This record gives sequence, C-alpha cells and structure tokens, in this order.
Amino acid sequence: MTTMATPTQSAPDASAPVYNPKSESAGAKRAKSLAFHAVALLLTAVVLYPGLWMIASSFKPNSEIGGANTSLWSSNFSFDNFVTAMDGIGGVSTLQFFTNSLVLALGAVVGTILSASVSAYAFARIKFPGRGIFFGMMIATLLLPFHVVIIPQYIIFQQLGLVDTYIPLLIGKFLAADAFFVFLMVQFMRNLPAELDEAARIDGAGHVRIFTSIMLPLMKPALISTSIFSFIWSWNDFLGPLLYLNTPEKYPLPLALRLFVDQTQSSDYGAMIAMSVLALLPVLIFFLIFQRYIVEGVSTQGLKG
Amino acid sequence: MINRRHFLTTVAVGTASAGVLAACGTGSSTSGQTGSAENPVTINYTWWGNDDRAERTRKAIALFEEKNPDIKVNGNFTDFAGYWQKRATEAAGGGLPDVMQWDLSYLRDYGQRNQLLDLSTVNINTDAFEKSLLPSGQIKGKTYGIPTSTNAFAVYYDPAKLASLGIAEPDGSWTYKEFNEFLTEVGTKSNGAIFGGTDYTGVWWMFNIWLRQNNIQAFTEDGKLGFTKDDLKKWWNLTADLRGTGAIVSEERVTQLAPKSPFGSNVTATEVTWDNFMAGYLADSGAKELKLAPVPSDDPDNLGLFLKPSMLMVASAKTKFKDAAARFIDFMVNDPEVGQIFKTSRGVPASKTQRDGTTFEGTDKLVVDYEKSIEKYLKDAPEPPIVGFGTLEASFKRIASDLNYGKLDINGATDAWFKEAEDLIKQNA
Repeated sequence: MTTMATPTQSAPDASAPVYNPKSESAGAKRAKSLAFHAVALLLTAVVLYPGLWMIASSFKPNSEIGGANTSLWSSNFSFDNFVTAMDGIGGVSTLQFFTNSLVLALGAVVGTILSASVSAYAFARIKFPGRGIFFGMMIATLLLPFHVVIIPQYIIFQQLGLVDTYIPLLIGKFLAADAFFVFLMVQFMRNLPAELDEAARIDGAGHVRIFTSIMLPLMKPALISTSIFSFIWSWNDFLGPLLYLNTPEKYPLPLALRLFVDQTQSSDYGAMIAMSVLALLPVLIFFLIFQRYIVEGVSTQGLKG
Repeated sequence: MINRRHFLTTVAVGTASAGVLAACGTGSSTSGQTGSAENPVTINYTWWGNDDRAERTRKAIALFEEKNPDIKVNGNFTDFAGYWQKRATEAAGGGLPDVMQWDLSYLRDYGQRNQLLDLSTVNINTDAFEKSLLPSGQIKGKTYGIPTSTNAFAVYYDPAKLASLGIAEPDGSWTYKEFNEFLTEVGTKSNGAIFGGTDYTGVWWMFNIWLRQNNIQAFTEDGKLGFTKDDLKKWWNLTADLRGTGAIVSEERVTQLAPKSPFGSNVTATEVTWDNFMAGYLADSGAKELKLAPVPSDDPDNLGLFLKPSMLMVASAKTKFKDAAARFIDFMVNDPEVGQIFKTSRGVPASKTQRDGTTFEGTDKLVVDYEKSIEKYLKDAPEPPIVGFGTLEASFKRIASDLNYGKLDINGATDAWFKEAEDLIKQNA
C-alpha cells in the first residue's frame, strides 16, 4: 500500500512543459492561492461562527447574552457561568450527568458494534432461508419513524417494570435494532472479496472463525464509523432519555441542559451555554481521535483488488 | 452453533414469560393503600422548572416527609416542553405519576380523558381559597386541579427609563386611548432609541380581558367561540395607527431578540403580561426596579381582570395511594411553611392560610401588592380553556405578527385566525 501512495507526490515536474512557468507563475499563482485561501477561510468563519458565538457567550454575564447585545466579547469577562454549570442542578452534580451520558454512549457503541457486525455477517455471508425477506424487513424499519413506535415501546417497558432504568435505552443497541448500522456493515462486507472466506473455509474454519479472524479485522473502517455515529447519536439523544428516565440522578446531559432554561421562570442562558461548551468537549475529542480512521477507511476502499 | 428449532423455542418462551411478567405488573395493584412509619408508602411527584424550583421543592418534600413519616415522596423534574411530551407518553402507557404539577391549558385535555383523579372524592381542604378561583380547576362538576398560586395580568414598566425620558409614571388608571398616547410619547421622546412596547393586540389574554371589559365571553359553555369577527377586527384596529411607529417595536426586532423579550432586552419601556414574570424580567434586563400597573380599560369600573391559577396540583386517576396523594397536595397548597419556601416563585400563594403565613419582601412584595391593589376589580376566573387552546393562542400570536410584518391586513388576519380556530374546534369536538 505504501508503494502505491508515493508516486503522486512527484507530480509538479510532469506538467511543466505545457506553458512557460517562469514568466507568469510567481505573481498569478500567488494571487490564485491567496484568493483560494481567503474564500476558504471566509466559508470556514461562516460555518464556525455559531460555535464561536457559543464559546464567547459562555464567558458573558447572563443579562448580556442574546437580546439587544450584538457584540461577541463582553468587557465583563468571567468564568461564573462555568462555576454555576459545574454546581449541578437540584442537588445532582454535573459530573453525574457527564458520567450518565458516558455510560449510555459507551454502552451504545459496544452494543451496536457487537450486534450489528454479527447480524451483518449473517446477512452478507450466510445463505439462510428467508434471508431476502428478513433483509427487506430490516430495511423497512429504517422507514418507520421513531415517533410511531414510541408508545407501544413505552407500554412494553412499562409493563416489564423497566422504566427508569437504562435497559430500554440500551437493549435495542445490543439487539441490532439500529438497522442503519447493520445495513452499513452489510454493504461493506459485500465489497470484501468472497475468495477470502472461501479460502478460510477450505482451511477448515467455521463461521465463528471466519467472522472473528477474517471479517472483523477487515471491517475496521466500518466499525470505526459505526462507533463514531452511535456515540454521537447517543450523546445527543434527548427524547429517549426524556421518556424512559424519571430520576434526575439518572439524567444524561441533554436533559440537564434544558433545566437551565425555563420559560415559566427566569432562564440562566449563561450556565446553559457554558454547560453546552463542556458537553461538546467529549464528542469533539472522540471525533478527533477516530476521524483519521475514517479517512484511512476511505483510502483502503479505493485500493481494493 | 445455535440451531434453528432451539432458537424458535427460546423466542417462544421469552414471549410467554413477558406476558406472565406483564400480568404480575397489573395484578399487584390492590395492595398497599396506606403506609405506616415503619413501612411507608412511596408516591411519585413530578414538576417542571429550573434549578431554583428543584431546590425549593426538595425542601418542601423534606418538610412533608418529616411531618408525615408514613409517606415517602419521590420527586422528579424536567423542563416545561419535555414535561408534556413525557406526560403524553405516560398517559398512553398508563403510567402517570401519582401527583403532578399541572398547567391550566392541559387540564381539560387530560381531565376529559379520565386521566386525572376527581379531587372532590378525597380529603383536601379548600376553605382558604377564593371561591372565584376554584372553578378554574373544575370540569363538568369534577375537581381535577387545585390551584397552588395565582397570577394576574398587568402592564410592566421600567421607572428608570421613563424618568430618563421625562415621562410621568402611569397613575394606575388609563383608557386605551391614553395608553396608546403613552406608548407614542415614549417612542417620540426617545427618538426611537426605546420603543413604547410590544403590540399588545397580539397577546391572546389581553384580548380576552378586553372582551370581558365589553362583557363578551371568549368561549361559550359548549366550547365554541363567543365573539364575532367584528369584535376581533375592532381589537386589532386599536393599535392600527401605532404599527410601524416608535410606539410599537417592529416584528423584525422582536424576532432578532428572541428568545429574550424586547422588554427584557431593554428595547421597550413597557410590556403587557402576567405578573409572575417579574423575576425573569429583572434577571434578563439587569434593571434595578420594575413596576406594575393595571391594564387599560375604557370602563374604569370594569377592568376585566381575574386571577388565573399559575399552576395547579393534580393526581393520576390510576394512583394506588389516593389518600397519600391527597395529603401531599393539601400540604403543598395550604401549609404556611411551604409558602415560606416558595415565596412567589410559583405565583402568589392561592390559599389564604399559606399567603398569610408567608413574608414577602422586595420583588415578591411588589407582585403581592399588585394583586391586592386590583382585588376590587377581580371577577371569576375563566373555566379551563378548551382542548387545543395552546395551538389557538400560538396562532393568535403568529397571525398578529403577520399583521405587524404587513403580510396581512386586518380583514385577512381576522379571516385567517377564524378559519384556524373553527377547524381546530371542529377537530376536537
């Protein structure tokens, strides 16, 4: 793989003879590059402005956030909002909310990876009767809006006495209920050469062996994208925890964030924004660590064959 | 490897046991009606609100448990919007908490569907309540909600802003013409730096009050509209000359300032709304002092004002602990020490016992004094609003803002709102 990547780097010399670079390039090239960077920076600034606004506002006093105050920075710079945010809500510390979110998100990642990869292997590699129908049904669940199943689901968990536990939020992840991820992995596996597992079968490997020793290592990019998405989705999920959790001690961050803003009383926008900044950090870190694997995944895909 | 037949049996057994478990869940509902100090019963209480309310409620619960060792209260809370999503799901699933904090606009909806307990069948003392207030928690002779506290409509103003413009503070009695002139004066004297106020004709409750001033009912007994298109046109015409001038802040500006109100952002000198928003406005605007004046009226003896329950206490119809729930509600609405804990953060305490047992200072005192000052004008509180009232109120606001944007004229706006209102009433009939 490394040998294939090197030739692209010596490209500039090859295109030289087409026109005379000496007379024209220096100024024009520079202007072109400047213009490109200026536009790119401008677009980045537009896209990142809400984030910048959020970070800047987290250092402002509550009365200067929003409303008629349009300046980005306040002269009353302070960390008070972060102090209030870390104090927690109604006797529950903010650290507790973070821990809850983390437990839910990591549970979701582990559950999804385990269940979706096994199900995907079955769909992609095992010819069992009714495979087409089951696959179709799984895809059909993608078309079913979450809101349609909320109430039947709630009734089931309520009757089983599982409300106010994390089980309703996590059990689906361990049972491959997220059809999107199963589908993603099925498509990925179908692209892997069938000769690999045929060879393994000739060597005497069963499905378990083929799955663990051949498929899983090759599926690393798909597993990584799945982890990133399921982490972020679980981290941001509001409705699920809202419906299934009752005790504030079990609330994850998105529920806690809303508690700073109350239309019927005074709203502490400052503390809410400060907490949003803090809530953003783990997702950002998780993404920064794993994003290079996504890029790697795309490049290995391109080199297959 | 799992073989297929084995797998199917496992699934079948799993499904059957789920059924058995479900049966157990419903089977145990007859036991455990009352508790004792050694073996207390636990009731669930849920409310919406912020950190501050959570803290106060925790104190109140601790006090209740100390006085009633045979009952434990398990308190939970969420924000206002999420609160109703959660209640809707729970109601469908049959799992509403035993005792809940409630909002007037949802009372009829849940009451009519028999989700709430008729509180007249249990023992709650309502002797200390204004007789005119209790009907707002009743539907067709059944009491579904007990008001914890009240709020009333008022005109907020910022005395410091008026003083800086050299405008005299309102004396507490004004006609609509005088009120309009006052708004215009603020706009002209400040040269557009401060607007008079937001367009008060866009506020449903202000319209409701104006109807009452003219002895018209907003809704009839059978849940139809009690006023005509001409009434609404007359109402929206009241500020026709003020729209687009310094008297009324433009709709573009209001949208820019959201989620804060123009008054909280120091862009206007007045705002017409409920008197329990005081603490929020003080925090948002950073003003030292805000004052309250009664709403304008062309009939000085009929201000159309009333006390509205700012929130109510209700119990689930399916609660296993009716007696415990009733004792907790009684404690929360009547106990003077609970009043001392909440002050006016829920509104002014509705029960006289609780109100008299509470000392009010600062802002709290302003709000309480205001409600005392309008006492002689107060009429019966309105019945619980019709089902879907929230949608009607929102569309009233939206159509009035289209009026301010100039997207609709008054005739168009009136037709648009009546069409939406009539469709909605038909749907829910």
